[in-house]
Amino acid sequence: MTAPEHFFRTRWFEDIPVGEFHVFGNHTFAEKEIIEFGQAYAPYPMHTDRVAARHSVHDGLVASGWHVCAVWMRLMVTYMERYATGVRDGRRNGAGIGFRDMKWLQPVRPGHNLTYTYEIVEKPDKVIQNKWGIIRSRNEAYNQYGELVFTFQIDILAERRPTD
Amino acid sequence: MSVRYWEEITHGEQFTTGTISVSASDIIDFASQFDPQPYHLDPVVGEQSIFGGHCASGWQICALMMRLFVDSMSNEGIASIGSSEVSSLRWLKPVLADDVLSGTIVVESLQPDSPHTGYGSLNCVIDVFNQSNVKVITLHTDMMVQKRPTEPIDPESAGPQTVGPQTVRVR
Repeated sequence: MTAPEHFFRTRWFEDIPVGEFHVFGNHTFAEKEIIEFGQAYAPYPMHTDRVAARHSVHDGLVASGWHVCAVWMRLMVTYMERYATGVRDGRRNGAGIGFRDMKWLQPVRPGHNLTYTYEIVEKPDKVIQNKWGIIRSRNEAYNQYGELVFTFQIDILAERRPTD
Repeated sequence: MSVRYWEEITHGEQFTTGTISVSASDIIDFASQFDPQPYHLDPVVGEQSIFGGHCASGWQICALMMRLFVDSMSNEGIASIGSSEVSSLRWLKPVLADDVLSGTIVVESLQPDSPHTGYGSLNCVIDVFNQSNVKVITLHTDMMVQKRPTEPIDPESAGPQTVGPQTVRVR
């Protein structure tokens, strides 16, 4: 297997405008996947045991915050794949280098549906390894009641347009 | 094992976690479900990528950090319920197939309250290292741990009192 072309970005760093906003996906959290993730990575009763979770601070089963993050990634990859279809000039998605101000504001319960959004908020004036720029986005997820459930800002590398 | 409450944890206290290994199939399983990018799904593509090897999703590293934390607190007898906030996290180095991770948790400060009644916060710096002692992620987070329960009400000495038409229990 070689890297599929559909993972290549459509745009250089310079072409990505601050203020651009995307609703990039949604996901319904099933009880089974909440428990599986919890058992593997965050084995607290509130994530792993429907009955014991009733005595937890959330009065019932809730998804691990890192599960909410992992689903963010899954939806982002799916969206980027579609977004970049047909581009064949070798520009690549960069890696995430870090995030800040991550907050889990509301519990995510079995059957809850989260809609994920991102907005480009800043392009810090910094060049990394002579090749990459930083795209800073504010990411949010809302539940089916319209409540803000999850928010963070992430820095992702994007390839700068070659100067020659 | 004795229980340790928030009140018994001190500023500057450090915890060392156990270890957790990451196999190629662990990386592929997580990536298939949550981060299906070629350098996570395919060892050969990983070798040729900017990561220089078959690397785990950054979110898998976060999840493994959480597992190390949860087990560490459990071993210490501390009733933690995780975090509601991560003020910053940096992915410093890739985690590659067959790496073995461990972490340190340093309590930088303590807050008596948290979003949940009965729990205080530990403002922690958590670092995760690979088997070569290279730091792979670092984060600042507020972790919530149980506070010492307040004295239970003695039902004999605090019997019901009648106030007008209502019966209330004196605390």
